[in-house]
Amino acid sequence: MNNRKLQITIWSVVIGSMIIGGFLGVYLIGKETGEYNYEMAIAIIGGTVLGFIFYLLISMWNKKRNGNVPDVDERSILLMKRYLMCVLYVVLLGSGAVLLILYSMGVHFIETGMLIVCMMGLYMLIGLGAVITKQL
Amino acid sequence: MKVVNHIKEIRQKKGITQVKMAEDLQITRQTVNAIEKNKYNPSLELALKLIQYFDVPIEELFYLEKPEGE
Repeated sequence: MNNRKLQITIWSVVIGSMIIGGFLGVYLIGKETGEYNYEMAIAIIGGTVLGFIFYLLISMWNKKRNGNVPDVDERSILLMKRYLMCVLYVVLLGSGAVLLILYSMGVHFIETGMLIVCMMGLYMLIGLGAVITKQL
Repeated sequence: MKVVNHIKEIRQKKGITQVKMAEDLQITRQTVNAIEKNKYNPSLELALKLIQYFDVPIEELFYLEKPEGE
């Protein structure tokens, strides 16, 4: 698979997953409340497309500013490896420690909704860290 | 022992900018900066590319800094 095809495949999967995730959210909220708000579809699709256009504009601006300089090289891959290794240990040990602390505090049940929110925060934090690491 | 390089001096002597060097060697400008400041040791592949790019012998580009007292 050439580079262009791979890029198109990756973006299709990312955009598809975001839209599917949005509709899944609408379905789950609808299941809880009994009201399926399909007006959210405009926000889901519009937000995803606008985000993609925003990314395209930024990458075009970057290409214009930096010329033919690549985004990733051996050093950024090495930094990313180290960062992801740190993330692995922090998440593994950190989540274990948080669970133990919560259990000792008397919290014996965790709501899955709360877990979803925590995971979302964690994903965003890891993503932000990866962006910063790439720029180092 | 620390690896030290003279890339910055050689690059400036040849009148090449960091961006031009990054473009030619297909590395990021941050990597050029890190190598020049001796904060990052390039891989053997990149080191060989640098030697070819500047057309200088390896000992002119990289050398081992001996620790004090030796």
